[in-house]
Amino acid sequence: MDEEPERAKRWEGGYERTWEVLKEDESGSLKATVEEILFQSKRKRVIESHEQVRLGMMRHLYVVIDCSRSMEDQDLKPNRLTSTLKLMEAFVDEYFDQNPISQVCLHRNPKKHIAALKKAVDTVCVGEPSLYNSLNQALQSLKHMPGHTSREILIILSSLTTCDPANIYELIKTLKSLKVRVSVIGLSAEVRVCTVLTRETGGLYHVILDESHFKELLMMHVKPPPASSSSECSLIRMGFPQHTVAALTDQDAKPSFSMSHLDSSSGPGLSLGGYFCPQCHAKYTELPVECKVCGLTLVSAPHLARSFHHLFPLQAFVESPLEELQGDRYCQACQGELKDKSIFTCTSCHSVFCVECDVFIHDTLHCCPCCIHSQVTPL
Amino acid sequence: MKLNIEGLLVYFPYDYIYPEQYSYMLELKRTLDAKGHGVLEMPSGTGKTISLLSLIIAYQRAFPLEVTKLIYCSRTVPEIEKVIEELRKLMEFYSKETGESNNFLALALSSRKNLCIHPEVSSLRFGKEVDGKCHSLTASYIRAQRHSNPNLPVCRFYEEFDAVGRQVPLPPGVYNLDDLKDFGRRKGWCPYYLARYSILHANIVVYSYHYLLDPKIADLVSKELAKKSVVVFDEAHNIDNVCIDSMSVNITRRTLDRCQNNVDTLQNTIHKIKETDAAKLREEYRRLVEGLKEANVARETDIYLANPVLPDEILQEAVPGTIRTAEHFVGFLRRFLEYLKSRLRVQHVVQESAPQFLKDIFDKVCIDRKPLRFCAERLQSLLRTLEIADIADFSAVTLISNFATLVSTYSQGFTIIIEPFEDRTPTIANPVLHFSCMDPSIAIKPVFQRFQSVIITSGTLSPLDIYPRILDFRPVTMASFTMTLARTCLCPLIVGRGNDQVALSSKFETREDFAVIRNYGNLLLEMSAIVPDGIVAFFTSYVYMENIVASWYEQGILENIQRNKLIFIETQDAAETSMALEKYQEACENGRGAILLSVARGKVSEGIDFVHHFGRAVIMFGVPYVYTQSRILKARLEYLRDQFQIRENDFLTFDAMRHAAQCVGRAIRGKTDYGLMIFADKRYARADKRGKLPRWIQEHINDGSLNLTVDEAVQLAKHFLRQMAQPFRQEDQLGLSLLTLEQLQSEEMLQKITQIAHQT
Repeated sequence: MDEEPERAKRWEGGYERTWEVLKEDESGSLKATVEEILFQSKRKRVIESHEQVRLGMMRHLYVVIDCSRSMEDQDLKPNRLTSTLKLMEAFVDEYFDQNPISQVCLHRNPKKHIAALKKAVDTVCVGEPSLYNSLNQALQSLKHMPGHTSREILIILSSLTTCDPANIYELIKTLKSLKVRVSVIGLSAEVRVCTVLTRETGGLYHVILDESHFKELLMMHVKPPPASSSSECSLIRMGFPQHTVAALTDQDAKPSFSMSHLDSSSGPGLSLGGYFCPQCHAKYTELPVECKVCGLTLVSAPHLARSFHHLFPLQAFVESPLEELQGDRYCQACQGELKDKSIFTCTSCHSVFCVECDVFIHDTLHCCPCCIHSQVTPL
Repeated sequence: MKLNIEGLLVYFPYDYIYPEQYSYMLELKRTLDAKGHGVLEMPSGTGKTISLLSLIIAYQRAFPLEVTKLIYCSRTVPEIEKVIEELRKLMEFYSKETGESNNFLALALSSRKNLCIHPEVSSLRFGKEVDGKCHSLTASYIRAQRHSNPNLPVCRFYEEFDAVGRQVPLPPGVYNLDDLKDFGRRKGWCPYYLARYSILHANIVVYSYHYLLDPKIADLVSKELAKKSVVVFDEAHNIDNVCIDSMSVNITRRTLDRCQNNVDTLQNTIHKIKETDAAKLREEYRRLVEGLKEANVARETDIYLANPVLPDEILQEAVPGTIRTAEHFVGFLRRFLEYLKSRLRVQHVVQESAPQFLKDIFDKVCIDRKPLRFCAERLQSLLRTLEIADIADFSAVTLISNFATLVSTYSQGFTIIIEPFEDRTPTIANPVLHFSCMDPSIAIKPVFQRFQSVIITSGTLSPLDIYPRILDFRPVTMASFTMTLARTCLCPLIVGRGNDQVALSSKFETREDFAVIRNYGNLLLEMSAIVPDGIVAFFTSYVYMENIVASWYEQGILENIQRNKLIFIETQDAAETSMALEKYQEACENGRGAILLSVARGKVSEGIDFVHHFGRAVIMFGVPYVYTQSRILKARLEYLRDQFQIRENDFLTFDAMRHAAQCVGRAIRGKTDYGLMIFADKRYARADKRGKLPRWIQEHINDGSLNLTVDEAVQLAKHFLRQMAQPFRQEDQLGLSLLTLEQLQSEEMLQKITQIAHQT
């Protein structure tokens, strides 16, 4: 973090001064620097996430959002709570996209979370938070989770103080023994107890600088943490229900309730088709879900496949300047002309990609299209 | 690593070194080369102790004839222990690198209370009791009496030590207090006397200031230390006050009453002895006629450290006839006592100089100057002759006789102030006679004269040039070192205004002003909401703190603060304070957060470190000027002006700023630490105040952090704390503020290092 240019008027540091990083080129255009910044930020995430480690696939994540008085602080716009909730929506989306067979707060349905988050915007933030109580509550739910899944708690903490009913260090010991990984994102400053908490349980502790940094830190938690070697490996029973769509012409088809919507008043009530549990034939409209009747985990094959990339992450592409490239200057993925000053080469098939495609491949596809193409497809 | 400091091979027990440590050693080496004294300022947490030890020990090894001993003076027992631990690390490194066990002897020395292993004596609570009890078991005549009467209790540890301990020197090694005790238990020797005996041939001695500066103790312990020693005073920013305290005497009515009892006891004992053993008194008389010649011979041959209480002239003369016999002396003491009593019966404040006092005493009770000067020596002799075991009981009469000797010896540098009551309680009669030393150089002069090199060092010694002036010595090096930092981990802010633009200041005129008090409260409230874990707030005095806190309570500010953090308060009661401190640390540890309200110049501001989360911010409410209406201070200021040409204001500001720097310096105890330093008074923004802060703080004060409002300070603090919370690894420091040997030797770095030391 370069602090020098801010020296003159440090009290303005509280405001965003993005224009300071911009520099005009000879023609007076800002384009070059803006592109440079964007380029750098795009690359960063891709590079960071690629180490060959075994990652836990099934995650149980408990997100705790501090709603104490300090969340009213307006240093994030419009205030800390609103800003946090907005980012959380994005986080939940991304989380389920990357970890389809994982859970957040023991609910599988991403739509429900987002609805809940939207509602929470109106919450009035009062009082002091208790780290102990929230951890304890999360622990009560998490400790019944099977050993092959990861148990994680993510705390968004705005307050610098915590009012605990008992000694928190005892609880940290319990968390450690139950292999619960606690991560904290601090919104204001470094608090000692969080440092200890995260260090002891093997989690991450970060403090945000501003909104964009906050988002970056949240997204770090999308990626599953390395699986600890001590976590048990076991075979899990899973059901792969077929989606049956009743033809509209079929007069015998009767609309029925989805099991997942029984307890909630909102959402579609009756529908014709759906997923039927292979074991007990309970009907669900959405996957993945845990069958309410027989307890079987129901997923679709693509879900599983998407989680698979955590086990075999795609190698990072090698960055090299454009001048060194011989031959056609076309990106192998989007077929566009390569204009940026750097290009990216796949290590196994040596295909060349532009930065956008590089990011797309690593973030979304998780496999190199050229490698797959070159594989001999069995007839 | 092994360093080459201008041709001297220095073993340094760490793999990395801070650039300022290298620079520090360089300056130190030059001081030792010149065989002179030095004043060195380097911020705490930059490894001052290990730099000092590494270099001086290397020097001792390279030139064993030039420097024979290192005397390291520190303030408190924990600090002494810390030094010993560093030393142990260094010695282990030596034996690992050179492969041979070296024959260095290093040991710590502390009072009997900390070293006694006698089961009964060591269980006593107060140092004085332990000393008295020990004396009653080990005094020479007690032991002599035991020959005739074997039933008398003795200390078997001392007996054992006396029998064999002196023949066998302590084996080489590093001994802290516990090691000495263990060794003593194993051998059955008294660790205290063993240590006192061993410092004579030890290579390194670590002990408290008082063993060198307090004339009464120095005479017993440090008298025979070798001349070619290097003396280091660590944390020496208050050394002038230590010197003054060790030479000043306060006499209250209670002292005089106890003294009266002492004199009565003396009288009775003399009567008894006269009936049984008159020869003893005659023997003493003969000895006194011979005079104090022996001591004089020893001093002339340069064996002894001079005692400022007992100046050279006294030694050449015999005790005057008027107090030579025991009865005469007791009569003399009585007269002197009555005179003092009459002086204490005053209705108004009296201030006079020593010659005036002497003239008055001569006019009133016909006591001459000469017998007064011998009073202290004569009393010691009498106590020895009378074989009084429990010396502790005679502290009152010892105090009075010391006073008599001092007042008649020094015509300059002292003043006598008699106050009928304390300023704060003018209705309660509580007369006190202050015999106050105004010249710190008197106590420290023998140290500078006797020892080859004296190093004065601390984290806060600015402005450097004032110390040589008030201590009256000529240093060969004076240097101030900055802290090289990979990230700006200290953030000094000067808050001069409240949000309503009211100027914040603790100056006398606005002290009662509600607007100022409210704004101070507001500052603390806002800070309590954004600073994590611990905040330490310092006030200028207990009275001021009480007023402000009471006012905050009425305005409901305290209640609001308590939502964010718990509040603890330092009081004058030591037990209460240490309790508050303990709870404060607990609250910081478990995340509740806490504020400690304390007082500059108090116990917290001097001895307690607030590392990392225990002190993320220090707020200094007001400028901690000393209580300027005190007559003692006024006399001292006058003296400084007349003798050393230091203007009152300069000295007061210097004194206030060194305490402010001490207070805020509590938060930063190393390079990985970080903390806010908030100076809440607009007067700090002035150049004359700011300029007296240590250089390592001054560097980080820029125009943008002067005269802020509370809101602006909060914005800056928030930004700073977020920056500091970002991950910080050791690699980030490497090459900038932490160097490997290769990095150190690079041309570019050596160039940079020369800029770290700032010579004055």
